[in-house]
Amino acid sequence: MFWRKQKAAIERFHPLHRALTLERAFSVSLRRDDWEPVIQSLARHTAEVRRGKWQLNRRVPGVLVPMLRILVADMPPHGTLSVAADMRGHRLPEKNGPQHDVPVRPPITSMKQWYAMDPWLRMRAELRDGSVLELSVTDRVRHRKYRKRNPRGKIKYKSKSKTVQLVQVTRRLAKDAAVQRPGSPPPQWVRVRVKPGKRTVIRANGKFPGPLEDQAMIDQILHVSTEPFRWTPPGRTARRTP
Amino acid sequence: MDAPGPHREEDPVTPCSVTTGFFVLGRCGQAAVVSCPGCGRPVCGAHAAANGLCPECGAAQGYGTHDPHHPAWTGGYRRHYYHRSSQLYNDALWYTTFSEYDRGAFNPGDDWSHGGDWGPDDDTGFVDS
Repeated sequence: MFWRKQKAAIERFHPLHRALTLERAFSVSLRRDDWEPVIQSLARHTAEVRRGKWQLNRRVPGVLVPMLRILVADMPPHGTLSVAADMRGHRLPEKNGPQHDVPVRPPITSMKQWYAMDPWLRMRAELRDGSVLELSVTDRVRHRKYRKRNPRGKIKYKSKSKTVQLVQVTRRLAKDAAVQRPGSPPPQWVRVRVKPGKRTVIRANGKFPGPLEDQAMIDQILHVSTEPFRWTPPGRTARRTP
Repeated sequence: MDAPGPHREEDPVTPCSVTTGFFVLGRCGQAAVVSCPGCGRPVCGAHAAANGLCPECGAAQGYGTHDPHHPAWTGGYRRHYYHRSSQLYNDALWYTTFSEYDRGAFNPGDDWSHGGDWGPDDDTGFVDS
């Protein structure tokens, strides 16, 4: 029997960690303190599993775990954090849209183009100031496959892909929470929409070329997330909760 | 004023004044079990690092972590994030508000007000440079 020890190690992992290892995806809602065992289980992965097939996607330790830590830090003990993580990649048929022809000029004789939408991380957290934060990170990949003929008639098939990453952060404030328009506008690549009402909703959309990984990705997600929180400056809504 | 002694046992009702949260800042508020030998502020068992240091003093002495799996990672990353985002948004107030709140934790006598010891109309806050 091959990989016996590593299979046993995977069996001992937290069920969500096991799902990320074997199925590369999970979708679950847990209380704040129930996420700590998941993170601690993920921390053991590199030491216990070495087989390439069972390696975690680098976005798990690089993006998912830091985002879990950050959102959990802002939540009360009874708050719920929902996470839908999909690390299966953008090549799955269900993530790819229909192909269509694109006008071409010689030496290219034909070109097909299609888009893949891969929402690989979605999170919803109930924060301790009574607001609710929803966050989604999506890879939009443009694929192009084309046929090219050189002057001697030789045919080549080539393909290109280009990734744009979309980050959407929505914060629904607590009832009658005071808001204050920030003194400076956000960067040009971040779009903001504010819906006033009993519960003000602030939505920020960020779009940037990718794919970014690890620290750079975390920074971009947090930069987009900054805008909804600038409307209620830090420390103003603080509560003395652990 | 006497300097705080290392590992001085705190009154159980003294709350831990470590800053918690990332976007929504707050104070820990749990019962402090020790006084930080570096800065003297009360720290609970969950936030006391090696030698009873508070997270900030622990990081200053090299006990900080860059591993997000570690529970103390968020606190160490927070100031870096506010600094970077303040520059990106060209919003000095964003960082200043955070920094004042965070530094207010080192003034345990002011009931955790984040503005420090001086009020806005109190000119004793000015110093000559």
